[in-house]
Amino acid sequence: MTTTDTRAAAADLPIVRGRTETWRLFLPQTVIQTRRLLLRWWRDPLTLVQSLVFPALLLIVLNTVLGKQVSTFSGASALYGSVPMVALVGVMSGSLASAITLGRERDQGLLARLWVLPVHRASGLASRILAEGARILLCTTVLFAVGVLLGFRFEQGVLAGIALFGVPLLYGLGFATLVTAVAVFSAKAALVEAVSLGSSIMMFFSTGFVPLTAYPRWAQPIVAHQPMTYAIDAMRGLSLGGPVRTALLATVAWSVGAIVVFAVPAAVGYRRASRR
Amino acid sequence: MSLLTVAARPRIGVVAQWWVLTCRLIRPSWRNGELVTAVVAPTVFTLGFYVPLNLVMSGYGHGLSSYAQFLMPMIVMQAVAFCATSAAFRAASDAEDGLTVRFGSLPMPAAVPLAARITAAMYRAVIALAVAVVCGLVIGVEFYGSWWDTVGFLAFSLLVALALCLGADLIGSLAKNPEAITQVLIFPQLILGLVSTGIAPAHQFPSWLQLFARNQPVSQFVYGLRALAGDSSGNAGVVGWSVLGPGLAWAVGILVVFGALGVVVATRRSA
Repeated sequence: MTTTDTRAAAADLPIVRGRTETWRLFLPQTVIQTRRLLLRWWRDPLTLVQSLVFPALLLIVLNTVLGKQVSTFSGASALYGSVPMVALVGVMSGSLASAITLGRERDQGLLARLWVLPVHRASGLASRILAEGARILLCTTVLFAVGVLLGFRFEQGVLAGIALFGVPLLYGLGFATLVTAVAVFSAKAALVEAVSLGSSIMMFFSTGFVPLTAYPRWAQPIVAHQPMTYAIDAMRGLSLGGPVRTALLATVAWSVGAIVVFAVPAAVGYRRASRR
Repeated sequence: MSLLTVAARPRIGVVAQWWVLTCRLIRPSWRNGELVTAVVAPTVFTLGFYVPLNLVMSGYGHGLSSYAQFLMPMIVMQAVAFCATSAAFRAASDAEDGLTVRFGSLPMPAAVPLAARITAAMYRAVIALAVAVVCGLVIGVEFYGSWWDTVGFLAFSLLVALALCLGADLIGSLAKNPEAITQVLIFPQLILGLVSTGIAPAHQFPSWLQLFARNQPVSQFVYGLRALAGDSSGNAGVVGWSVLGPGLAWAVGILVVFGALGVVVATRRSA
């Protein structure tokens, strides 16, 4: 009885003849997998809270508690530092959450299950990059919206406003490549704590938290040259005004550098994780 | 046909059972990163708030002789809050793995696993507190009070740690989801920690927030600790019931309520 049913059901399924692992089908396959990842993210209330609500709350609290003091010290609204900074923090914690998901999917065998399907090999990794990008844009939009409610303004026009979204996107893709490379080789709880503590330190030692002159002399070179500061300075320039070029070029250098250095380990690790 | 003979129960005292279960939690802390977190968290907090904010807050004014002296209670509170988070994580892991149910079926008083978990949490709290005090001394904190005031500072910190760990343990045992619980507990830690008088004085908050910032428990703990540490400017507050009382009341209240609930949950033999 059951076997007949199964057979009948199997007969109804579409049968694929010919190769499906082609570059022509790469795009639709990537889109399907991207949709899966974004749906999964959207339907998990906890990661949603972590990547949307938590940064927004952090921005509001930071602005309420320290906004006045920092604005007095620097002479410009602290929001032009804290909105970019918290946007980057949100991007980083979002990447961390997706790295944890990746580790869990590997442990559950889902990656191996997808690996045996007749889809283009590159679509798995490409869909993760695409999903990451979509998530970064959404989180940044939400955070900028909260920032605007608090008094953040796009004072340099539409073009700079669009470029303003490009900075966290580029930064986030660089960071995600790094985290993916680390996560596919070891997805332990220690990774989560190390990366969160590391990104907290980066947040505290960036020009988004307080101006560079507030740091003691020994800390200033570290603060000035770390990737987050460059990204924040670029975004500050694109919103409030001021020099953008150096900061933007340095952000591109840091991000592209991270992508170049960690792309191969990430791809190799992803392949290894898919075949266990 | 004779009935199965039951072997005589091994006579192991409650204290030995508690000690075995405590060692089970303490021994792996050298390897699984719990100890590292207890050491690193206060250090990161000290660096992260003192270094950038020292000039900013000194310019704006905080009323004490140095910002280090002002921030010290908050460093301790953060250290303690991190211990509470790991306590929740441990309780939730044990509940998720079914270990709590397994322990419930063993011949020992039902509150022993709870006592062991709290002991292990307090062991982490003692280490974190020690690191926090060292961090404070490095950035220039001094204890101006008498020996008894300093002892009171440490004792009060540990009392708060005990209260928070009991509360976190209860939440963890009920939630049974280690990853979720650590993320959820960040919220109260963030809100209560930042919107308190530990980082900026109450009058620097917007007026609608001042009432909350002044009276919420973390601020009351901070007032107590600040008075016990003392200050050369004399603005730290006088050690006495009016300053210490509300904080002590909060700590003892949390301790009693969550302790009682924790015992009820632990002794309820069905899972």
